[in-house]
Amino acid sequence: MTAELIVEATDVALAYRRTRHRVSSLKQTAIDTIKRRMAYEQFYALNGVSFDVARGETVSVIGRNGAGKSTLLKIVARVLPPTSGRIIVRGHVAPMIELGAGFNPELTAAENIVLYGTLLGRTPKEMRGRIEAIADWSGLTEHLDIPIRAFSSGMTARLAFATATDVTPDLLLIDEVLSVGDADFREKSAARTVEMMNGGCAVVLVTHDMEAVKSMSTRAIYLSNGAAKHSGNPAEVVEAYLSDVHH
Amino acid sequence: MQVYDSSARQIPVISQVKSIYDNRGLLRLLVVRDLTVRYKRSVIGVWWSLLNPLFTTAVMFYVFNTVFKSRLPDGAPFLPYLLSGVLLITLFNQGLTMGADAIATGAGVLTKVYVRPEIFAASASISSAINFLIGLVPLTVILGIYKRTPTWHFPLVIAVIVCMTLFTTGLSLLLSIAYVYFDDSRSLINIFLMALQYMTPIFYPVSVLGPHTKDVVVLNPLFAYLQIFRREFGNVSPSTFSNWEMMVASSLVAFVGGFYIFSRQWPKVVAKL
Repeated sequence: MTAELIVEATDVALAYRRTRHRVSSLKQTAIDTIKRRMAYEQFYALNGVSFDVARGETVSVIGRNGAGKSTLLKIVARVLPPTSGRIIVRGHVAPMIELGAGFNPELTAAENIVLYGTLLGRTPKEMRGRIEAIADWSGLTEHLDIPIRAFSSGMTARLAFATATDVTPDLLLIDEVLSVGDADFREKSAARTVEMMNGGCAVVLVTHDMEAVKSMSTRAIYLSNGAAKHSGNPAEVVEAYLSDVHH
Repeated sequence: MQVYDSSARQIPVISQVKSIYDNRGLLRLLVVRDLTVRYKRSVIGVWWSLLNPLFTTAVMFYVFNTVFKSRLPDGAPFLPYLLSGVLLITLFNQGLTMGADAIATGAGVLTKVYVRPEIFAASASISSAINFLIGLVPLTVILGIYKRTPTWHFPLVIAVIVCMTLFTTGLSLLLSIAYVYFDDSRSLINIFLMALQYMTPIFYPVSVLGPHTKDVVVLNPLFAYLQIFRREFGNVSPSTFSNWEMMVASSLVAFVGGFYIFSRQWPKVVAKL
């Protein structure tokens, strides 16, 4: 019996029209359009990428900057629909994003736990019942009623991590392994991440840390110019990538 | 278990509205967040949101009533006429810019977490509507000073609020795209909003306008919202059936058009960020 597939991506592509020169002002765009100077080109951020992730698997995605790693993560997170091909994702998806990006500095820690958790797809009611537990895990029980603008960055990171990892999702998306807070917290958060990986969720990990790829993942995909150049055994894929980088 | 299939057919507008409805828990939280941040943390609380429209009204009242000695032709009192204009334009400006800001500044989260950005636009419009409702309290007081009371049909103001919520939600989605794409769109929109404000009879009666200007002002959808609001709440201005047509039509066009264009453009924004 094969394990349940959490992600099934078939021939996924993402193409968009981009201007040859980066234009970021309305004035410039208007002038260029009138003068017919706008030159567009079709750009493939991803092209024909297929892969599966089964429950319990950790798939690492590696490649140079601009190879399409973050685009792939956005497509798996369903933030971005592919322009062709198909992706199916089953179950609750939890992205681990820059910690605290969903926080509002004027709200208290307790209010932020509920808001952030709801942004990540849980219900406000469920989150209200989890405030105590999350505060306890992050060691911030004393500070629940304080607006988080008074928090240090370490405290904010602890709170965000605890909220994001409160439940084990079906699919965990990690963009770079987190290294925030003091050594104590780093250890605790790394342990929680491993616990989630072993706790029956599927993981897609995007990283530049080749040691992490080899030690944490069951499979790796090497993206180059939007296409999957190699995939399979992490050690072999890392080797293929490194030999490309060095040439 | 929820299943996401990228090839499942999504009907624009309908699927977006459904997703706002499905996430009404989040919508409520966002509205509460907006109001909490504004009220709970300030010393004078709820009245803080009224300070701005009341001060604006006071300044304009001094300038136009005392300095220019403007009078309304039908003898309606100027102060409630002015305050209702200021409250309505504040409702529009706030709903529009707060919604677009929320999406543009939240782009960091919205490009990584699956949350429909439309919810942010809707929450901004709804919290501005709540501010507007609070503003009806001083308006009632000022009507009272002139020995007037809200009309018996004042609940029709709800129609103005609902239409304005749809109107600003749709428009703020379009504006958010401009905010993300173009760095100069914020200053351009401010100039546009200023022009729009002058094209809305906030502090002048329509009768002072020449025929050509009047034609343009009547085409401004905000004119219709304002006429209906003034008529239905304090009876300080007449409104016509065509005002109602304009209000309902503009809100539906902005809402459906805004949602539709946004559903096409947003993926392109996400791809580039």
